[in-house]
Amino acid sequence: MTSLRTRLLAGTTGGMLLLLAVLSLIVYGTIRRALFEQFDAGLEATAHLFAASIEQDTNEVELGLDLEQMPEFRDTKHETYYQLWGADEIVVGKSSSLNSTMLWRIPDGVGSPAFANSRGAGDRPLRAIGLRFVPRASDSEERLPPRADLPTMSLTVARDATELHGQLRFLRWLLLTATTAVTAVSFLIATIVVRHGLVPLNAMAAQIGAIRADDLTTRINAQHTPAEIAPIRDRLNDLLSRLQASFQRERRFTADVAHELRTPLAGIRSTIEVTLTRARDRQEYQAVLSDCLEIVQNMQAMVSNLLMLARLDTRQMVFRQDRIALADLVDTCWQPFAERALQRQIAFESHVPGDLTCLCDPDNLAMAVSNLLANACEYTNDGGRIWVAAHAAGGHVELTISNTGCSLHREQIPQVFDCFWRGDSSRKDAGVHCGLGLALVQKLITALGGSVTAELQPGGVFVVRTSLGGSSTSLP
Amino acid sequence: MRLLLVEDYRPVRESLTKGLREAGFAVDATGDGEEGLWFARGNDYDVIVLDLMLPGLDGLSILKKLRAEGRQNHVLILTAKDALDDRVTGLDSGADDYLVKPFAFQELLARVRALVRRSYRTKNPLLEVQDLRIDLTVQRVWRGPEEIVLTPREYALLEYLAMRAGQVVSRTDIWEHVYEFNSSASSNVVDVYIGYVRKKIDRPDRPSLIDTIRGRGYTLGAEP
Repeated sequence: MTSLRTRLLAGTTGGMLLLLAVLSLIVYGTIRRALFEQFDAGLEATAHLFAASIEQDTNEVELGLDLEQMPEFRDTKHETYYQLWGADEIVVGKSSSLNSTMLWRIPDGVGSPAFANSRGAGDRPLRAIGLRFVPRASDSEERLPPRADLPTMSLTVARDATELHGQLRFLRWLLLTATTAVTAVSFLIATIVVRHGLVPLNAMAAQIGAIRADDLTTRINAQHTPAEIAPIRDRLNDLLSRLQASFQRERRFTADVAHELRTPLAGIRSTIEVTLTRARDRQEYQAVLSDCLEIVQNMQAMVSNLLMLARLDTRQMVFRQDRIALADLVDTCWQPFAERALQRQIAFESHVPGDLTCLCDPDNLAMAVSNLLANACEYTNDGGRIWVAAHAAGGHVELTISNTGCSLHREQIPQVFDCFWRGDSSRKDAGVHCGLGLALVQKLITALGGSVTAELQPGGVFVVRTSLGGSSTSLP
Repeated sequence: MRLLLVEDYRPVRESLTKGLREAGFAVDATGDGEEGLWFARGNDYDVIVLDLMLPGLDGLSILKKLRAEGRQNHVLILTAKDALDDRVTGLDSGADDYLVKPFAFQELLARVRALVRRSYRTKNPLLEVQDLRIDLTVQRVWRGPEEIVLTPREYALLEYLAMRAGQVVSRTDIWEHVYEFNSSASSNVVDVYIGYVRKKIDRPDRPSLIDTIRGRGYTLGAEP
C-alpha cells in the first residue's frame, strides 16, 4: 500500500535535498573558481614580475632582482618556488628552498601561461604556473614577444596552496553540513505539516467508519473539509444517498411482497377455517378445495413472477437468439385467453404480417406477450376489443397491443410498469392480479434488448408499444 | 346482530360472510369502497368489518367519512399491512379494533362479538333476563334449568332483544339488526318470528317474557 504520508514526506524531503545539493554544487564551483582565479592572478603576477627581471646577455642569464627577497618568496605561509630553464631546457636557476627537489617544466604554448597542480615537499599541495618567454636583452628596455627565431626560456613558479585547499575543504564541509541540517529540519517540518494536513482525511475515515449498514441516513460532515477532499466527501455522500434510496426501495418491495402474499393466505385460511366450523356436505368441500386451489395457483404465479423479476434484476438469465415468426407467436400466446374473451364478447384482432420476424429469445418473448395479452384481457370492457399490430421500422420490430375499456387517468400511465401498482378498478378481483405483470414485461423486454412504453389514447384505449431488435420480413 | 363486511378479496369476503352468517349474524357484504360507504350510511350496523385496501374508496376514507358524519358504529379493520404506522393510523382514524391478515376466523368472531357487547354496553357474555339465560359465546339459551333450542334467526332476534332488555325495541330496529339488506323479509316477518320465539321461551302458566307495546314495538323482560 502506498502511503500518502510517505510519498509526501519523500517528495518534499527528496526535493529539498536535490535542490540543496545543486545549490551547494553551484556555490562551491563559483567560490572555488573565484579562489583559484585570485590565487592564479597572484601567481601570474609573480611569474611576470620574475620573467621581467630576467635579462640575457648573449649567453648569460641574469636575474635582475634578488628574487629571494621578494615578499612572495619570503612568505612562509604561502611559500613560493621557482625554477628556470634556458633555451636548451637546461635548468639555469631555482629556488634555494627547493633544495634537491625539482619543479617540473610545464609545457605550454608560447606567450600564455599554463597552470597545474602538484605536490611538493611533505606532500603539500602546490599550484604552479608555467611561462615561456623571451628574456629581455640587457641592452634593451623592450621585451620581445616569443618568436621561433628567438631563444626562449621556461619558468615555473609554484606556490603552496595548502590554505586554498583548506578553504575549499572548509567550504565543502560547510555546504555538506548545511545541506544535511536543512534537509533534516525540512523533513521534521514536512512530517508535522503532513500529519496536520492529513487530519481531515483521518477525521473523514473515522466518520465513514462510524456509518452502520442499518443506518444509511448518516452523512459525512461538511465542516472544515479542505477543498481537495470536498469532492470525495460529496461523492461519498451521493453514494450514501443512492444506497439509502435503493435500500428503501428494497424494503418497500419486501413489504409489498409480504402484503401481497398475506391477502391470498388470509383467503385460504378463512375459507378453510369457516369450512371446518361444522360438518359440510361433499359438494361444499369440493367447492372449497377448488377455491383454495385457485388461490394457490395465483400465489404460485405470483411467486414465479417475483423469482423472474429477481433473476432479471441480478442478470442471471441467459437468452437465446432465434428468428421468431411474430404472427405465430401472437396467435399461440392468445390461445389461453380465447375462450374467456369469447364469453365476455371481447373481439381479438391480430394485424401482424405473416412474414414479419424478429431475432429474440422465443420463450421469454412469449412470456412477455402473454403477460401483455393477459393484462389487456383483464382490463378490456365486456364487449370490447383487443388488437395487436406489428411492423418493421429501421431494423426494429414495433409490436403494439391495444385494448378498449381502460379506466386509468393519463397521469397514472407512467405507473403501470411499477411493481404491485394496480389501477383502482383492477382491484375488483383483488388477489388474482398482484400488479407484477407489466413490471415483469418491462424488465423482460429491456433484458431482451428492446423497449416498452404505454400510452392512453382517446376513448379509453390503452396501448403498449414494444420495440424489438433484429427485424426481417422474409422467413428463412 | 347485523354486520357490514367490506372486503375486496373474494375468497376472504365469501368465506367470512358464510362463517359470520353461520355464527348468527346478519351480514351485508361488498367488495367496493363506495358501495360499502353507501351501505354504512343507509343502515345501523352493529359492527362494520372494513378492509383498508379497496377499490373505489379506501377503508380509511370510509372510516373518516363515517366518523365525520357522527356515526358511532363499531369498526374493525382488516389489513394486510402490519406496520405499526398502519395500525396506529387505523385506530387514530376512529377504528375500534384491527386484525392483521391472515387471521384466525375464531379470533375475528370473538372480536366481533366483543364489539357487539360494547355496542350494548355489556361486558358479560352471559345475558340474564329473569330466569332466561343467553350465552353469547356459544349461542345457547336456557329458561331455568331447561335449554331452549332456537333457529339461528330466532336466536338472533332474542339476542337483540336481550341486549336491549327492558327497552322498547321497534319493529324497524329489529328488522334492521336481524335481517340482511337484500333479504326479502318485511317488518311483518318480525311479528311472525316474535311469535315463534314466544312459543319456545314462554311457559304456559306465566305471562310472556316479551311484551307487545302497541304502536311502538316489543320489550323483553320488562318488570310487570
